[in-house]
Amino acid sequence: MIEFLARRAIISVVTLLLISVIVFVGVRMIPGDPARVLAGADADAAGIDEIREKYGLNAPIPVQYVRWLALAVRGDLGESIRTRLPVTRTVAIKLPITLELACLSLLVAVAIAVPAGVVAAVRRNSVWDVLASGVSLCGVSIPNFWLGIMLILLVSVRIGWLPASGFVPIADDPLGNLRRMLMPALVLGAGLAAVLMRQTRNAMIEVLSADYVRTARAKGLAQPAVVVRHALRNGLIPVVTILGLQMGALMSGAVVTEQIFVLPGFGRLIVEAVFTRDYPVVQGVVLLTASSYVLINLLVDVSYTVLNPRIRVRGTADGA
Amino acid sequence: MAREAATVASLALPVEAPAAQAGGWRRAWRVGRKRPAAAIGAVIVLLYVAVAAGAPWVAASDPTRTDWGQIRKAPSRAHPFGTDDLGRDGFSRVVWGARISMQAGVFSIVLAIVIGVPTGLVAGYYRGALDQLVMRLTDAWLAFPFLILAIGLVTILGPSLTNATLAIGLGATPTYIRLTRGLVLSTSAEDYVHGARALGAGDVRVMGRHILPNIVSAIVVQATVAIPTAIIAEAVLSFLGLGVQPPAPSWGTMLNTAQQFLEQAPWMAYWPGLAIFVLALSFNLAGDGLRDVLDPRDS
Repeated sequence: MIEFLARRAIISVVTLLLISVIVFVGVRMIPGDPARVLAGADADAAGIDEIREKYGLNAPIPVQYVRWLALAVRGDLGESIRTRLPVTRTVAIKLPITLELACLSLLVAVAIAVPAGVVAAVRRNSVWDVLASGVSLCGVSIPNFWLGIMLILLVSVRIGWLPASGFVPIADDPLGNLRRMLMPALVLGAGLAAVLMRQTRNAMIEVLSADYVRTARAKGLAQPAVVVRHALRNGLIPVVTILGLQMGALMSGAVVTEQIFVLPGFGRLIVEAVFTRDYPVVQGVVLLTASSYVLINLLVDVSYTVLNPRIRVRGTADGA
Repeated sequence: MAREAATVASLALPVEAPAAQAGGWRRAWRVGRKRPAAAIGAVIVLLYVAVAAGAPWVAASDPTRTDWGQIRKAPSRAHPFGTDDLGRDGFSRVVWGARISMQAGVFSIVLAIVIGVPTGLVAGYYRGALDQLVMRLTDAWLAFPFLILAIGLVTILGPSLTNATLAIGLGATPTYIRLTRGLVLSTSAEDYVHGARALGAGDVRVMGRHILPNIVSAIVVQATVAIPTAIIAEAVLSFLGLGVQPPAPSWGTMLNTAQQFLEQAPWMAYWPGLAIFVLALSFNLAGDGLRDVLDPRDS
């Protein structure tokens, strides 16, 4: 197990290094002098010199990379061209909003997908199964930004139940915060629910035909006990992995959702940064997102190892 | 010895194409009858292709012509989908939008296949250090959430339909590298590949004539699932202002404008979104059916 975890950790470190190279090269590919790119179009000569000095932009490229990486590892991702605030601080302000949105959507997705997936698997080929599959297919096909616009049109414009946009910090007004987060969470959770539903259904179908489930039934356990206590527990393991892999989709979705509902989170930050050509912010956000994706999936793999003893013995998760 | 060689040769022979093709059509018909949803999906996709190709004939008016006397008019006989904030005909814009969406969806996935399949083929076939390098690179590439990667690329390249297509295609590439590599790994162990090699076939011949034909169907099935995702991605990028630039009619840009007039002109938001939804749904339905046609083992 230790060997597996060490191997997995080394691969993650290599992946993180490659990510940093991709981001570094990406920024260098922006046409123009990198010092001017990073300092902003209206920076004065002193500002440009400062950037040149900090990243050693006259040094050979590999030296520049090492210097940039050393700063990044210490949490120095440069400062925003627009606000002159450090990128890390800007992100720290915006991130909680996106995290709240992500957690709420996960909650929505799991609350819809797990029961629906279990019912579809238990009553396989029934009307419920067909219905659940149909709804799930619609869920993956519907563009979530359109779903968001339609929800605003129905719930805010027509019925007037919930505010269409804006944000209230949870500390100031918890109820108001929830009222504004409900629709975004639904929109972001819908697509995830569709994917999770399918996975839960497939995993449950497999688990329900396993020997230990038959044993549990033979013991005379009632259906709900068999399904919940024996099948669901094992059936959910692959679903956890899928959740980790879906983190990327969740991040992408958050960008769009925050744009529609005007939530001042991480996603809106990056879109604004692109339009104002705030390259340090774009660079920092891209680097942070990709790195956290790797770390989250490392955590998922580790938790998977803890949950499923067979992996510990066999040594690898995917047989590679 | 001679007989042995003959057996090996027959093992190494690729499946006769014409017979397989006829069987394929027959199977398609059978699947279509058994799964009407898949058949309907396929028909709707073809309908979209026809509309996209025949846009100048389907849509009577110019999708970019503004008319100040017809601003934000509700759907009527003259404008079945209403008009937008500049008095442009909604129907024409949705029809022309099909062109842009199909173009972005198909070309980006073609790009991903063109880069991903050969890379995965070579990595899976030769294995070793090259394989490790390619796999670590795809790991790193996959760590960028799709939209974040696209945003990064568009930041470097500048927003346009071509660059959005490029970004979507590059974002989808690692999936094809991984898929192809996995398929090559399992196919390389088959007897007919060993047979072909025993007969002295070179690497390129083994890859091109013996491995590739046997993994094509899985790649095609993956493409039918990927195209609707790519179509939605183009719409998202355009919605954010990072894809197609106005006044070109793209469903994403139309929805972006529509959001500003939800109270006054909700019809502006109905049709482009519905067009994306129905197209993506049809692709997914057709893809499910295609999987059954191309991969009879699964059904």
